[in-house]
This record gives sequence, C-alpha cells and structure tokens, in this order.
Amino acid sequence: MARLKYRPLNLGRWLVWGGTALLMILLPQILTAGFTLTLLSQIGVGIIFALSYNMLLGQGGMLSFGHAVYSGMGAYFTVHALNLISKGAFYFPVTLTPLIGGVAGAFFGVIFGYVTTKKSGTTFAMISLGIGEMVAACSLMFAGFFGGEAGISTNRVIGEAFLGISYGPSIQVYYLIVGWALICMVAMFAWTQTPLGRMANAVRDNPERAEFVGYDTHMVRFLTLVISGFFAGIAGGLSCINYEIVTAENVGALRSAGVLIATFIGGAGFFFGPIIGSIVFFTMVTAIGSITQAWAFYLGLLFLVIVLYAPGGFASLIAMHVPVIKARLMRRLWLPYSAALATGIALLAGLVSVVEMTYHFSTEAGANPNMKLFGLAFNVTHAAPWAVASALLVGGFIISRFAWNLVGRTWADIVHILQEQSA
Amino acid sequence: MSTAIELKGITKSFGNTAIIRGVNLAIPRGERHAIIGPNGAGKSTLFNLISGRYPVTQGEILLNGEVVTGLKPFQINRKGLSRSFQITNIFPRMSVFENIRCAVLWTLGYKYSFWHRLGGLKDANLRTEEVMESIGLKARRDTLAGVLSYAEQRALEIGITIAGGAGVILLDEPTAGMSRTETADAVELIRKVSQGKTLIMVEHDMGVVFDLADRISVLVYGEVIASDKPENIRGNPAVQEAYLGTEAH
Amino acid sequence: MEFFLISMLNSISYGLLLFMLSSGLTIIFSMMGVLNFAHASFYMLGAYFAYQISGWIGFWPALAIAPLLVGAVGMAVERYGLRTVHKFGHVAELLFTFGLAYLIDEAVHLIWGRSSVPYAVPPSLDGAAFTLFSTEYPIYRVFMMAVSISMLIGIYLTLTRSRIGLVIQAALTHPQTVETLGHNVPRVFMLVFGGGSALAGLAGVIGGNAFITEPGMAAAVGPIVFVVVVVGGMGSLVGAFLASLLIGVIQTFSVALDYSFVNLFAKLGITIGPNTPLAALWDLTISQTAPVLPYLLMVLMLIFRPKGILGTREG
Ligand SMILES: Nc1ncnc2c1ncn2[C@@H]1O[C@H](COP(=O)(O)OP(=O)(O)O)[C@@H](O)[C@H]1O
Ligand SMILES: [Mg+2]
Repeated sequence: MARLKYRPLNLGRWLVWGGTALLMILLPQILTAGFTLTLLSQIGVGIIFALSYNMLLGQGGMLSFGHAVYSGMGAYFTVHALNLISKGAFYFPVTLTPLIGGVAGAFFGVIFGYVTTKKSGTTFAMISLGIGEMVAACSLMFAGFFGGEAGISTNRVIGEAFLGISYGPSIQVYYLIVGWALICMVAMFAWTQTPLGRMANAVRDNPERAEFVGYDTHMVRFLTLVISGFFAGIAGGLSCINYEIVTAENVGALRSAGVLIATFIGGAGFFFGPIIGSIVFFTMVTAIGSITQAWAFYLGLLFLVIVLYAPGGFASLIAMHVPVIKARLMRRLWLPYSAALATGIALLAGLVSVVEMTYHFSTEAGANPNMKLFGLAFNVTHAAPWAVASALLVGGFIISRFAWNLVGRTWADIVHILQEQSA
Repeated sequence: MSTAIELKGITKSFGNTAIIRGVNLAIPRGERHAIIGPNGAGKSTLFNLISGRYPVTQGEILLNGEVVTGLKPFQINRKGLSRSFQITNIFPRMSVFENIRCAVLWTLGYKYSFWHRLGGLKDANLRTEEVMESIGLKARRDTLAGVLSYAEQRALEIGITIAGGAGVILLDEPTAGMSRTETADAVELIRKVSQGKTLIMVEHDMGVVFDLADRISVLVYGEVIASDKPENIRGNPAVQEAYLGTEAH
Repeated sequence: MEFFLISMLNSISYGLLLFMLSSGLTIIFSMMGVLNFAHASFYMLGAYFAYQISGWIGFWPALAIAPLLVGAVGMAVERYGLRTVHKFGHVAELLFTFGLAYLIDEAVHLIWGRSSVPYAVPPSLDGAAFTLFSTEYPIYRVFMMAVSISMLIGIYLTLTRSRIGLVIQAALTHPQTVETLGHNVPRVFMLVFGGGSALAGLAGVIGGNAFITEPGMAAAVGPIVFVVVVVGGMGSLVGAFLASLLIGVIQTFSVALDYSFVNLFAKLGITIGPNTPLAALWDLTISQTAPVLPYLLMVLMLIFRPKGILGTREG
C-alpha cells in the first residue's frame, strides 16, 4: 500500500521538473519577439537569485535588505576571472565560471554572515541593510576592483568555439543560464529536504525550542546564509556573462530591494513562489517599463497590495484554490471574480490615468500639454480629463469594494463547505 | 558518578529579588524525582537554570559529574539533558512527524548536514515513528502541530523532549490542564518513556506525584525545605504547613 | 583651529538634524515595535512639500504647513496601512514600510522629476551670521540649530509634562506596558506615528534647502538614521542624541580630512608605492572612506556592544 501511494507522487515530481526543463528549453522557439530572449535570460538569472533569497526569507525567516552583496560580489569575481582567463593567466572553462561567483558569494557569506545571523527578525534586517550600504559605499572607494562609475567590462567569448559553443550568440548564453537555473533549482529544492534545511524551518518557527533539541540557532542561520550566498553568487556570475559588464549597481540597495520584491510577490511560503515572482517581476519591468516611466511606481503599488491583502504572494493565491478545484466549487467563484475583475479594471484605469497624467503634467506640460492614453488624445491642462480620471478612480474604488465583499462572502461559504466535507 | 544532576548552592535573582535561594539537590541516576511547591515558588525557574535557559546568579550545576553552568541550552542538550515546557513549546507550522524528527536529528549525528536526504534517513524516520507510536499520535502523523488539541499538544511536547534519547529528562507540569482520563494516559506515557532514565518533573497533581515519584523535593520561596521518599514527605509537618496544608483548605 | 571650530558647528547642526529624524524613529520603534523604513521618505516629503508650498506662499508658512501635512500623511499611513498588517507581525510591518518607502520614492520621481529641485534658502535667512576668523558662518545654519534646539526642548517638555509623553516614556523602557494602557492604544499609536513623521518632515523642511532636495535624499539619509538608532541603542532617546552628534562629527570631519596611511607611514619613515601589497587600501584618504565610516561603526558596535551606547535591550 505504502509503495503504491509513494509512486505517483514521485512521478508527479518528475513531471514537474521535466516539464519545467522542457518549457525553458522550448520557450525561445515559441516566443520569438525581439526582446523575449533578453527577458527570458533575465528571468532565468532572477529565478536563481530569488530562490537563494528565499532560503533566507522563506525557509530561514531572515528578512534581508542586502542580498545583492552576495550576488554582486559573485558577479565581480566572475568578471575579474573572465578577464584573467582571456589574458591567459589561467585556464578555466567559461561554462563553469558562475561557480567562481558562487564561491565568492559563499566566501562573503562567511565574512559577513557571522555578525548578521546572531539574531533574526528586525535586528537581522537592520544589519543586513547596514552591510549592504557598507559594501555599496566601498564600491565607490576601491575603483580598482569595482571599476568606479563605469564598472568592469569583459568579453565572454574566449578562445576557440567548443562543439560550436562560443557564447557569442545570446541564445547560447540563454541555454547556459537555463542549464545553471535547472541545476540550482533542483539543488535548492533538495536543500529544503535535508536536515539543515528542515532545521532552518524549525529555527524560523521557534528558535527557542530548536536550541533545546540540540541546535545552535546562530549556526543554523549562519550556514543557511553561506549556502544562500553561494547560489546568489552563481546568479551574479551568470548575469556577468549575460551582460559582459558589472557595475556598482550589482551590489546596490536597489538590487537588494528588487529581489525582496520579486520573492515576496511570488510568495515566500512556497518553494515555487520566487519562481513565479521572478517571472512576474521581470515581465512587469520589461513590458510595463517599455510603455511607461512609472513602472516602478506600479511595481511598488503591487508590492504594497500583496503585503496588505495577500501576504502569501501569488503562490498562496494559487495554492488556496487547489482544494476548491478538487472539491469542484470553482463555479461558485466565477461570478464574484468576474465582478471583481470588471470593477478592478475600472479602478486600475482610473489609477493609471491619474498617475500618467500627473507624470505628464509635471514633466512635459509646459512644452506639450497634449498626451495620449488608452488611445484617447487630450490636453492635460484641461479639467475634463482630470474629472473623468478621478471619477473612474473613486467610482472604481467604491464599486470594487462591493465586488470584493462578494468575493469575501463567497470564500467564507466555500471554506465552510470544505470544513464540513473534511469533518 | 552515579549522580545525574547535582545542584550546589544555586541562586537566581531577577533584579533585586532572589527567586531561587541557595538550592542544593542531588538526584541519582535512574531516579524519578518530583519537585512540588506552591505557585511562584520558582520550580520553572529552577528548570530554566538547569537547562541553560537562564544564567545562574550563583552556584554550580553538574550533569553526570560535569559542570554545565554557563553553557548554552543546546550544549547542555547535547550532553544528554532534555526538557519540556510548562507552556507548550512546539513547532506549530510543522506536522507532528516533522516536529519529532527535528528532535531526533542531532543525536543521530545528522547535525547540520546538507548532504543527507531526510526521506532517506532510515534510522531517523524509524525512531520518529517509534516516538509517535509511544506518545499515541501516530494517527495524527501529518497534522500540523498548531491545530492539535491541547492534550495532543502536551503529548507532542513530551514526544519532542524524549525523542532525542536524552538520559536526563525534565518535565514541567506535563499534566496541567488535562482531564482525569487524559492525566491517567499521561502518567502511563511518562512512566513508559522514562524507563531507565533520570526523570525530574514539576507536578501539581499529588496523585500523579505519589504515583510516579521515587523521591520528592518541596520547593517553597526558592528554597528546598524537604527532599525525601513520598511517604516521608506526606508525614513531614513542615511540608504540610508550608504546602500540603494550604492545599487542603 | 578655524577649521576645527567651523567643522564642529557644522557637525552639531547636522547632528541635531539627524536627531530630529532618529528621535521619531526611536520612539516609534520602541512603542510599536515597527522599524519604520519610510521614515527618511517622510523627511524627503517634508523637503518637497516645503519646496512646493514656499513657491506658492513663501518659506515661513511652509515651515509650519509642510510638517503638519507630513504628519497627516503619517497618521493616514498608520491608520490605513500599518494597522492592517499589524496582525501579520513585525516582519510584515517592516515590509509594509519598505514598500511604502519605495512607493514614495517613485511618487516623488513622478511628480517632481528625477533631478534635484531648486529649493533655496529664503532671502531673509541668506547671508552670514558672524565671521569666525576668516570664515563667514551662514545665518541659515544658525537658524537650523535654533529650530532643532527648540524642537529638542519641545520633545523634552512633551515627554516629561504631558500625559501622552509619560505613556511614551513608560513604553520606551517597558514596551510591554503599552498593552496595559487600555482602550486608547490605537489612538496613541496613530498620534505617535504622526508626530514622528511630522518631526521627520520638519527636518526635511530645514534640511532640504541647507543640503539638497532630490529624489535620492531619502535613500541617502535613511540608512544613516538606522545607524544612529543602532549605535545609540534601541529605545534610548539620550543614546540616539549622542549617536546623532557622533555621526554628525564623523561625517563632517571625515569628508574634510585628506590624510591616508601613506601620510602616516611617511611620517614613520616608510614609503608606500603602487607596488606595496594592498596599495589601494593604504592610498585611501579619510575623506574617501567617509561614506563607509557610519556603517563600519554600526557593524563594530553590533559585534562588541550590541545594546548600543545607552540601550537597555538587544534588538
Ligand atoms: N524572566 C523572569 N523575570 C522576572 N521574574 C521572573 C522571571 N521568570 C520567573 N520570574 C518570577 O519568579 C517567580 C517564580 O516563577 P516560576 O519559577 O515560574 O514559579 P513556579 O514554576 O514555581 O510556579 C515568580 O514570581 C515569577 O514572577
Ligand atoms: Mg511553573
């Protein structure tokens, strides 16, 4: 019996990993628009980085504001290694250079980790911020290593092509990233199934009890940080190969903030959360960033909405629907969801209008008061468009509250039914 | 060497108030020892000192003849002392199985390993199943610890405490808040799991105490006023006045 | 001597400004357990509001209105944001204020653009207050100190004389006592958060034109304020005050000093060339290391004295 139960589970796991691999390999063939390869490469690197971040936030309960230190140092060591290799200082295959980044990331994890991991919670958050700022400030001091304003550039094509692989074309770099991403995903998932990974959860949930079953919580957090630094360093090494340049931004606060936002949006409570998070994050940055300057504002807003109303991120939103689908109760939700969607679109349209008009007004109104939004052309210095936009915003807000109340009531019913079914 | 725990002149003050005032106590290996006393006497505080949760103000604690004063909780635990808590202290977001398994990993030598797969640790998983069996939570294997009933959580608390196979076990009010039948079950459980071990327990229920204990110490206002066999404690006038007497009112 | 005196005055005015920020942060942190990541964003909002308002109706009204506006924003944030996430714990609150800081940054970009705005010292405060040896000391710096010191006295009086002040004081040393205050705790929290934000806003009003009003100002000063709170000790206003002055001195003096190890070794008769091991390190002048010093101080503090200068509790 036990064996019968075990097998399908394993099969499922193989399917998930195999499907992911296949998807990553085939995607560039399916989506062929110009920017997709750049975007997909970014997402691939971002997945490794966000998963490494979630070892701290999700698995270990450590909220870090300075994770870019580890990926950034990994990137810098990789870029210097690449430059040394191309000078002939030593031989090392380019394919494996992200490992150099990984070792560098782990090394800085050892250096900084001991102090940072003494405590978790707010103290950890503050120290990680301080260390992040310290490294960022150092990057301006040591121009030899960090390359000052210009950064350090490199050339990933070194020597003869091997079996046709030179890493000249970006599709080859993409497959390099996919290979590393798959290895790292499997490795980081495996980590969650090891004694250290499990004790990281224990220390996150109840550090005191963990000490009374023999574990030094400081050590558990420290080792977790070092391993997380290793994977972050690999991500840094890959981004170095991808862009062929490393600048101080790679260790900066904005990069640290980015990985926090991506991970949290995706959902820190699930292993696959950061994967979703990276996809959403980079797609938003690329897609919305190509349309409007205000993309970061929308991203911040999305983050706040998630913090306030869905602190488990997208992953938890998906996970909470699984039992509903199994119990065939989804049909109850379609109507409330449609209502929420329709009103949400009105609210969003109002919001976007106000934001875009404000932006246009404050930057260009003097030179050119005319702007186009949603296919409509109008003059931002006139009152009418403002009235329409505000009406949409306020009206959308009011009616979407009704819709969300309906959603809430329906969910309460469904939870009730599910509880009765399981009892 | 046959003493499991020895307290030498233990004192503990919070600020200016001395809560534990010069406790001397020696508990031989294999004994089931109960500590009783009125609320606020300092029983839990004494456990917190022995297990390293609080630093002692003065005095020395020996575990199997070795000084453990000043060591951290995990260091004392690794030397073979394990404790439970008066206020349930478990991993609420993990399943019962995971709770117990966390408690067996260190002693089985897996320590901080990130090169073993938990699913493949035959000894750890077997030991976990055994402990679940003995605390009667096998049926709740995959339930989150946070949603267990109170009595189940108390059983899990004991399970976590004994899982690592420590030779010295400290239980702080294991039956507090339980019904009569639950208490009876708990007594049997404690008797079973403390077989061949040194057990020190704080307990309010006199029935449980006289049922289980080989010896009893009475702690009043941070001082041990008597430490003796149950029958002698029952007859001790000082104890009756200070403690049992007030109970009878 | 001249350099020393002028730098000392600058240190004090900068340190006092830091204290206007760190005092609010410390009080909010001690009472509510919330490390307000957006605190420096309120500072920035204060500067931008003052810039906008003084463009319309002049600097003096702005000096009063801008901090009040920022305080109102702070109260709204507490009421409609923090209170919602409170049930998810301190990490969620931290994340919320982090998101808020990010959002305020972007909003400032959208409304006032990505470069600095010309928020200038008002003409009535432009000029020299006095001449020290050969340096003219600006009136505005004196004005900043005057505002900061009156604020300091204001905080002191509020804390020692008013009912809410006594509650705050009790909460600083015994955070758990706040819970025993009874029904008006949420209101106290809202007022404290609003008050702290208003203080930060005021710091922005007087700091924005003394230094520079730009979208990066929150990100530049925010971590420094955290350093002040850690170094001073969580929950200690006096500690925050000392640490503010200390950081003020370190930052002001270090940017002006051009000594490096090379000079030091030269005095000892050792020459350092580009080929000496770690040449990049010995070559650094103190002014080049200035940006790192506060963080280095913070890390060292956390290693050797995690409680901070005057803190009563650890993290
Ligand atoms: N961490 C602490 N700080 C201050 N006082 C404490 C602390 N822990 C316990 N006490 C005090 O010590 C006394 C004894 O408490 P405790 O050991 O829990 O008693 P018992 O377990 O015997 O009921 C109580 O008065 C309690 O208030
Ligand atoms: Mg007790």
